[in-house]
Amino acid sequence: MTTVMADLAVRTEGLDKRYGRTWALHDCTLTLPSGRVAALVGPNGAGKTTLLRLLVGLLAPTRGSVEVFGQSPTTNTATVLSRIGYLAQEHPLYRRFSVADLLRFGRACNLRFDSGLARRRLDSLGIPLDRKAGALSSGQQAQVALALALAKRPELLVLDEPLASLDPLARREFLQTLMGAVADDGVTVVFSSHVIGELERVCDHLVVLNHGRIALSGDIETLLADHRLLVGPRTTNNLDHTPSVIEATHAERHTTMLVRDGGAPPAPGWQPYPVSLEELILGYLRHPAAHDTGHAAEHSEAAA
Amino acid sequence: MIWLTWRQHRGEALTAFAVLAVLSAILLAVGLPMHASFNHDIVQCIDGSAVDREVCSTNLAVFEKSSGFATAILTLLNVLPFLIGALIGAPLLARELETGTWQLAWTQAVPRMRWLVVKVVALVTLTVVLTGAFAALITWFRQPLDALYGRNELDGFDVEGLVPAGYGLFAFALGAAAGGVLRRSIPAFTASLLAFVAVRATVASMLRPHYQPPLTLVENIDAGSHGIEIGTGNRADWTLDEGFADATGQRLTRTDINSFDDMARNAGVNLTTYMHNHDIQRWVDYHPASRFWDFQYIEAGIFVGLAAILLALVIWRVKRRAL
Repeated sequence: MTTVMADLAVRTEGLDKRYGRTWALHDCTLTLPSGRVAALVGPNGAGKTTLLRLLVGLLAPTRGSVEVFGQSPTTNTATVLSRIGYLAQEHPLYRRFSVADLLRFGRACNLRFDSGLARRRLDSLGIPLDRKAGALSSGQQAQVALALALAKRPELLVLDEPLASLDPLARREFLQTLMGAVADDGVTVVFSSHVIGELERVCDHLVVLNHGRIALSGDIETLLADHRLLVGPRTTNNLDHTPSVIEATHAERHTTMLVRDGGAPPAPGWQPYPVSLEELILGYLRHPAAHDTGHAAEHSEAAA
Repeated sequence: MIWLTWRQHRGEALTAFAVLAVLSAILLAVGLPMHASFNHDIVQCIDGSAVDREVCSTNLAVFEKSSGFATAILTLLNVLPFLIGALIGAPLLARELETGTWQLAWTQAVPRMRWLVVKVVALVTLTVVLTGAFAALITWFRQPLDALYGRNELDGFDVEGLVPAGYGLFAFALGAAAGGVLRRSIPAFTASLLAFVAVRATVASMLRPHYQPPLTLVENIDAGSHGIEIGTGNRADWTLDEGFADATGQRLTRTDINSFDDMARNAGVNLTTYMHNHDIQRWVDYHPASRFWDFQYIEAGIFVGLAAILLALVIWRVKRRAL
């Protein structure tokens, strides 16, 4: 059992974060095995940044607990901080520092910092060390910020909307660097994004956050196998309160349901179709009441 | 961390050094001739050992005329401890918050409390060194003026001794606290200026005269003298208030005093004789010049205390992650 615990990169329990009187996160319980590349998706204001900042110790929870490799990032000790790499939204850098200064900053502020690795990465991207960070393009700044985070040799790398400010070419290069690091070091990655199309190629784990609550979380392959679209004759039953039905859309003649039925045989008259990752995410986001209830097989009664 | 602190704040540090260097050059250029002209003749006037009072007062008038502008400059320099302190303090948190780099700084392996404490200690030291150097410079410059006018009045007390370092520290802490709340360097600087002026003016006008109970000098008025003296006879004493009192010690109003003129004329005697005959006494509430250092300790203590409270608030805010 202890080995299973050690294999968890992230574990949160009943995590709440309140700013004044508004809840940014509510009752988030989440586990992420190590070695995963997890995508955190959700609309703007869903609490993605708050959750990520809690993971890296920038924020302290109002209630509940966070653990990264069994240690609380909230304690802010050098040990736990050195295991986590963080790339904040818009990849902030000291703009008046040269790239070499930034590497020196990394060396000065970390227990272990692989300058050689960072230098090689930046060299291969053609980013000059004597250039001021503020004079670099947005894509280059993102690469420098990523090189800094990776040079810490973190076991968990957390990235907040790393692709948002990048053009398509820079996006591709960024993801290449990131995936290279994952392949080389086996680092666990959590990143938030609302670019759903790019996730499928790089992620194997999904967390959907909506209105400060976790709507869905799990291994992507398992989730896709658990969910199906069922298309059948239009039904007037109120399907929204049936646990296995995540979302039902009604056309003139027929009804399409996103269900989580674990692949059980559908009721007569209903045709099953596999669901795409995008349809799955959108289904959960459109249905705010939907939550991760596990398996349920009552869909046939509901459909009948 | 020391390297990082220097790298991030060297702009402000070098600006402050440059301002001090320019100021030193100006004060040396003005001050050396002033020190030279403050010669033996004038010193004799002050300590009362002068032989020829006529020559003495001429010399003094010449000196006062040529150095009068110096006091005006010094009043302006009152703002310098604030500038140094707030220039260094305001960006401490505000710049990290406005550019988002706090997220970079606090996710390295340096725990944020260590980050903050190292920076605060280094920058407080820098502020104290710079404002201390400023005070030393002014204290040298004002030597002749201090001998002449004393240094308990606003233009001397506020720029000499220990208090400039206290003001600088307070401005630093104000800048840091305002930066943490407002998250922008320039608004933090502006807010600090307003708060600084309000606190400084309140302390100087309402508190400082009461650091110790003032002494009171009571003197009879010489009959037949041409004028009535003012002050305590020592120009370096800090006179708070002065006036006249009747034989019972009751202090007299302006109207009472004005009426003496008419009554003296009616009685056909000299005003001073009239006052002497009626046992009118002259009083002066003052702080003796010797209290300068006591007052400096007290005022510097107040501002260092205020700075300590503000810095504790800053540390508490960062610690509980309220940013």
